[in-house]
Amino acid sequence: MADRDNVESLVVLQPISVDTASPDHVGMLVIANGLLVAVLVRLDAPEHERRGSWYMEVRLGRLAKVRPPVFDTLENATRWVRQRLRG
Amino acid sequence: MQDTLIRKLESFEELTDADRTALRAFVPRVRQVPARTDLIQEGDTPGDVHLILNGYACRYKVLPDGQRQIMAFFVPGDFCDLNVFILDQMDHTLGTVSACQVVEIPRHAIEEITAHHPRVTRALMWCALVDEAVLREWLVNIGGRQADQRIAHLFCELLLRLEAVGRVTDNSFPFPFTQTDVADAVGLSDVQVSRTLRELRRLDLITLRHRVLTILDVEQLKAYCGFNPNYLHLRNARWSGRRQLPWLSSVRGD
Repeated sequence: MADRDNVESLVVLQPISVDTASPDHVGMLVIANGLLVAVLVRLDAPEHERRGSWYMEVRLGRLAKVRPPVFDTLENATRWVRQRLRG
Repeated sequence: MQDTLIRKLESFEELTDADRTALRAFVPRVRQVPARTDLIQEGDTPGDVHLILNGYACRYKVLPDGQRQIMAFFVPGDFCDLNVFILDQMDHTLGTVSACQVVEIPRHAIEEITAHHPRVTRALMWCALVDEAVLREWLVNIGGRQADQRIAHLFCELLLRLEAVGRVTDNSFPFPFTQTDVADAVGLSDVQVSRTLRELRRLDLITLRHRVLTILDVEQLKAYCGFNPNYLHLRNARWSGRRQLPWLSSVRGD
């Protein structure tokens, strides 16, 4: 996996607060090769079925064409982004 | 069971004794179907017409990526597929949401009765027209309303449809739908549904406990989503008056 990652997009997360009109406001800008491609938000409201998971609030460009799951961890989210941007 | 069907049809058309006798004549099959079970699947050859006596069902399709889109919810008294038996092949799937009591009416029974009882035929056409009107409204819902309004609109619709068949008590009704069911019906993600439910609760418009939905303020909820019940063509909606116009009776030959 690490070998493949070397030739794949460089995905960087940058913390940001997000207004979702809900208690979910802990967010991450997802930047791939210097371009903003998505915004992740942590599901903190008690009503969520998967509280603590990461929801892809915004998808841009190529990511907008695919339906993302809710991610248990940020590592899973970045792996998913790399896979979708490959090729 | 026939009485339920007759009540349903009489909400659209006045039936004669002969019509009612004919409707009571055929012997329906009543099936108990567990929750989350398909009644008929896309690709199957439709045979019987399904009528929901108890419980909730839905009409859906699954996209190649696994995403499900729900196109209709069925509540007690609803036909799932009134005219679809004419088709060679189902282009969608019908499945239960909760455990259901489902009546299967053989297609020949429908064909026979509609051939000889014009009022029954007209009542069945009413049912089909209302189904289409609801589908149109769902299209408007998905294409034109914001997330929170979509869900509020669905709740208003369910309230009125269930009220019409006597399934609402103190503005409360059984709500076996998951967040995913709602999401798949209104074109949102589970997370958006969860947030909207939270917002509707915060505004004291609804409560949702133990799978029972209570509309706390019906008028406010309707105002919130701009709900207009005209498309349901219910007797107690504003259309009922127009149906009593003298010219309509004269056309009927009553």
